[in-house]
Amino acid sequence: MTLSLQPVRIRTESSDEEGQLVMAEGLLVAILIQLSADHGAEAGHWFLEVGFGNLGYPRPAPFLDLTDALAWITTQAGQRSS
Amino acid sequence: MSLAAGTDLSLLIRKLETIITVSDVERQAIERLPVTRRQLSAHQDIVRDGDHPKQCCLLLEGWAFRYKLLDEGKRQILSVHIPGDIPDLQSLHLPVMDHSLSTLTACTLAFIPHEAMLDLTRNHPGITAALWRDTLVDAAIFREWMTNIGRRSTLGRITHLFCEIYLKLHAMGLARDFACEMPLTQGDIADAIGVSNVHVNRVLQELRGQGLLTLQGQRLVIHDWDALTNRAEFDPAYLHQKRPPGP
Repeated sequence: MTLSLQPVRIRTESSDEEGQLVMAEGLLVAILIQLSADHGAEAGHWFLEVGFGNLGYPRPAPFLDLTDALAWITTQAGQRSS
Repeated sequence: MSLAAGTDLSLLIRKLETIITVSDVERQAIERLPVTRRQLSAHQDIVRDGDHPKQCCLLLEGWAFRYKLLDEGKRQILSVHIPGDIPDLQSLHLPVMDHSLSTLTACTLAFIPHEAMLDLTRNHPGITAALWRDTLVDAAIFREWMTNIGRRSTLGRITHLFCEIYLKLHAMGLARDFACEMPLTQGDIADAIGVSNVHVNRVLQELRGQGLLTLQGQRLVIHDWDALTNRAEFDPAYLHQKRPPGP
C-alpha cells in the first residue's frame, strides 16, 4: 500500500491547525494534525485527528513524527477490522 | 493498618445526612461499626474485577475511581469518588466485582466487614433506606454519564463533569467559593469522558480562554458558575441533593 500526503489547514477551534490528509491509493484514510505549543511535551507530535474505516479504533497516542504515524497507518490499514 | 476511631465514621454519618435525617440511635449504631483503617498510595487497586470481597470501604481521605480495562490497555473510568462515599457498597449484595476500584490520590479508607454492614442494615431500616437511596443516586449519575459520553460535545462533557464533582464536594463541605481540589489529570478526564487527551487539552485551553474556569496545580477554580452550567446543560436534579443545589 502506498501512502501519500497532502498538506491541509484544519479548523479545530484550537491552536492546532497544520494537518495532512493521508491518502492510500487515491482514498482518504486518515487526517493527521501537528500538535501546537499548547500541548507541552507533545508539541510538534502528530495526532490522528480522524481515522477512517479500521483506523477509527483503537485511538493511538500522538506520534513523534510523520514517519511513525505513517508506519502505524500502514500496519493498521493492512489488518482486517475487528 | 489500625482500628479506626469513631470519628472516622462521622464521615459516613455526614454523607447519610446529605440524604436523610440521622437519628441518635442510628448514629450510635454507625459509630459502633468495627472498621479497619488503611492507607493506600495513589493509583493502587482497592478491589479488582472478579474479586469476591468480604468487606466494603468508606473513603475517608482522598479520591478514588471505578474503572474497566479493555484490550490494549484502554481504560474507561466509570465514576469518581470523594470522601464519604462507599464506592464498593454493591459488593454487599453482588458477590463478584464486575469492575475495579482504584485510588486516584493517596487515600485513607475505613474497611467495614460485610457482616457488620448487613447487621446494621437489618436492624436499622432508616439506614437501609438511606443506603438504598444512595445506590439509586449512583444509578442516576451513571445515566447522566451515559448521556454525557453518548451525546454531549467534548466541551459539554468536561464542563458537566466539573459541575457534578464541585456539587458533590460542596455537599460534603469539601468545596466552597467555586473552587475545589481537582486531582484528575487530563488523561484521567479523557478516560472518564471517552475522548483523547489532545481533545481534553484543547477544550481546557478554550475554557480558560473564555474565562470560565482555570485548572492549575490540581486546583479547579470556576470563574462563572452560571455560564459553566449553561455550557454544560447541567441540571443538578439527578444528584438528588437534600439541600438546594448551588455553591
